[in-house]
Amino acid sequence: MSSGSQAILFAFQLMTLMSAVLVAFHPNILYASVALLFTFLGVACMFIFIGADFLAGAQVIVYVGGITILILFAIMLTQWMYKATLRDVRTKILLPVVACGLLVTPILLKTTRLIADLGPLGTAETMTAFSFSPKTQVIGQALLTSYVLPFEAVTILLLGALVGAVWLARPQ
Amino acid sequence: MNIISFLTSYHGYLTIGVCLFILGCICMMWRKNAIGILLGIELILNAAGINFVAFSRFRTGAIDGQLATLFVIIIAAAEAAVALAIILRFYRLKETIDSDQANLMRN
Repeated sequence: MSSGSQAILFAFQLMTLMSAVLVAFHPNILYASVALLFTFLGVACMFIFIGADFLAGAQVIVYVGGITILILFAIMLTQWMYKATLRDVRTKILLPVVACGLLVTPILLKTTRLIADLGPLGTAETMTAFSFSPKTQVIGQALLTSYVLPFEAVTILLLGALVGAVWLARPQ
Repeated sequence: MNIISFLTSYHGYLTIGVCLFILGCICMMWRKNAIGILLGIELILNAAGINFVAFSRFRTGAIDGQLATLFVIIIAAAEAAVALAIILRFYRLKETIDSDQANLMRN
């Protein structure tokens, strides 16, 4: 990877991390959800840099265009914008941090040992064959051949979830 | 190895994934607001997606990881819709979305 594209990717990674910190720690839930939008955009850019162009598009359409807007709608429907209850975080931060450390440390140890066991990264041929070819055709063919069962299952799940959401949010 | 060439490699993607996962867990445990908990869940799902794509790019060279991420994105959309409908319903019932007030199974 050339140093110019490395610098661009590094900038997007920094944007992802800093806005994720804002999502986790900003006391105002409205600002946190706007920061979540930038996290999603940064993750989409990171997808582009490892050859997942279709996923980057799907990420922008579903997350940035759909979920973030839905969350903003829900915030503005349920609370006034600068009401005191909007700034509700627990006072004790130590317990979540310690719990996450206990949760993540064994995962990290196991993963580093696993990566060391698996040996070097993929071969040069697979890398160049995989790298930056368009993925839409490959993904479409895989969805309708070897992945057709999960595809249909997730279709039914999405239909059921959306009908259930409309039924739950109906007026009394 | 300087930090830029580390972060833009395979290990950098895994590092970003772990950081997003930890931040999502902290967000889920720390916030009282039900929508804030939903934000943490979205961060965790994105971390899983980054890991899938990085493994499929750097480890196998096949498309399977990207398909797994595609299904994660679809399921996240369904989950967000249902969660927000539940939150709206809860707000109508209790006039708040503080998750400490959600202590009834009926209604």
